[in-house]
Amino acid sequence: MLTRNLKEKGIESLLFASGAVAVIALILLCIFLFKEGVLLFKDYSIINFLTDTRWLPTAKEPQFGLLPLLLGSFVVTVGAILFSVPLGLAAAIYISEIADPRFANIMKPVAEILAGIPSVVYGFFGLVVLVPIVQKTLQLPTGQTALTGSIILGIMALPTIISISEDAISSVPRSIKEGSLALGSTQWQTIYKVTFPAALSGISAAVMLGIGRAIGETMTVMMVSGNSAIIPGFPSGLFTSVRTMTATIALEMGEVPQGSDHFHALFAIGSVLFITTFIINIIANYIKRRYRFNL
Amino acid sequence: MPETYDNGTEIEVKNLNLWYGEKHALHDISIDIPKNSVTAFIGPSGCGKSTFLRCLNRMNDLIPTCKIEGQVNISNEDIYSRETDVVDLRKKVGMVFQKPNPFPMSIFDNISYGPKIHGFSKKEMPEIVEHALKSGALWEEISDRLDASALDLSGGQQQRLCIARTLAVKPEVILFDEPCSALDPISTSKIEDLILELKKDYTIVIVTHNMQQAARISDYTAFFLLGDLIEFGKTNQIFENPQKKETEDYITGRFG
Repeated sequence: MLTRNLKEKGIESLLFASGAVAVIALILLCIFLFKEGVLLFKDYSIINFLTDTRWLPTAKEPQFGLLPLLLGSFVVTVGAILFSVPLGLAAAIYISEIADPRFANIMKPVAEILAGIPSVVYGFFGLVVLVPIVQKTLQLPTGQTALTGSIILGIMALPTIISISEDAISSVPRSIKEGSLALGSTQWQTIYKVTFPAALSGISAAVMLGIGRAIGETMTVMMVSGNSAIIPGFPSGLFTSVRTMTATIALEMGEVPQGSDHFHALFAIGSVLFITTFIINIIANYIKRRYRFNL
Repeated sequence: MPETYDNGTEIEVKNLNLWYGEKHALHDISIDIPKNSVTAFIGPSGCGKSTFLRCLNRMNDLIPTCKIEGQVNISNEDIYSRETDVVDLRKKVGMVFQKPNPFPMSIFDNISYGPKIHGFSKKEMPEIVEHALKSGALWEEISDRLDASALDLSGGQQQRLCIARTLAVKPEVILFDEPCSALDPISTSKIEDLILELKKDYTIVIVTHNMQQAARISDYTAFFLLGDLIEFGKTNQIFENPQKKETEDYITGRFG
């Protein structure tokens, strides 16, 4: 009896400790990120950081303008969403509702394997295959553009979007699909009026995770989108070279003197990235709550 | 088997056989189901009564391994003929399922779903919804919260909502697949009263494993066993004077 209680307590504390480690690690990471980032604003005003249109960290009069990088990330991400969300959702609907089960059982794991390919491989593929294609077909001076980054990022986001939204769609109970068909609706009416809305919270989670992956992805975009820190137009910016926030940190972190303004500026960018992801999560939760008819 | 009915015949089934893959699940079923009355299918679990019910609105089409032979005529139309549009058929032959299955939408949207897909305009909806909920004996309880989620209703209310939803598309036949098996006795008696009310305007076929229920509400009863239709007749005849030994054994509780 006593030993059993002891064992229970032991397992309980072990589980608590594991949970606590994750939370503490997250808090420490946040503190570190923001603390280092904020130090930039001792020497460089936060207003300039947010409004300057140029990123010239090594100039004599350095400028740490966030805008070109933020908009670079924005253009690439929006492009990736436009590419991957319709394609991913269509694939998920096909796999869960229309495809022959035997075929679906092959297709889903194959789509999921795409997620296991290292991002540097995607980058390499993009650089060798996609960049020349984009350059030739669109007659551009360089194929390393936001568009190229968007396409590759979109492909990388596909497995997440397909897999999670397929789970959400196929977890809609068969009984309510039958209820819809029994009222004389067609298969497609059932899919888009009943099944899809019923799965919407799972689908939006899938889309948000896909977007999160696109924003946070570093290696691939660095390899295929050219990395020039110029404010992109929209949509014309899709066809020019852009630099994302993540690529900036990765490119410059190795060469920057520790403790310099440039060093702190990179952490400030990191903080902005963190806040962006945070906002996306809040939006995802809001969407979930708005469609409150959860099953 | 009764030869003619006062109200005429709604559903005629001739030599229907059904296979799930290799399994021969229904053997040579022939039955005439009368108009504007309640016909109950009874029998032990796995006897094929639900499977047979689902042949009447072609719900078995959804099962890829299912193969059906024979003829089913509903208001003199062969529903398995090549020209039959399943959408029209299911509009004419509504179905209420074993477990209440409201859509995860508001009460109003649940009812208006059917009429909307069949082309009724938005303007007509409030009237259609009110009428359907009244016919489903639910209006009094929920008329003030049509925007609430249908999932917030009690089980019995959800089932009446599903009935109202079926009524909203104006079917001729309503199939009930053990509609009370997930409900408490009070909700069950409400549904039974409703079914008795509905038979004035609709032909009703109900599958039930509750023999008292069959005795209470049905005019005709069919007894199924292991994929065979053993006996079919007026409900009081089946219960008081069964012609077949299997029927008598089942009704007197010797098995099942």
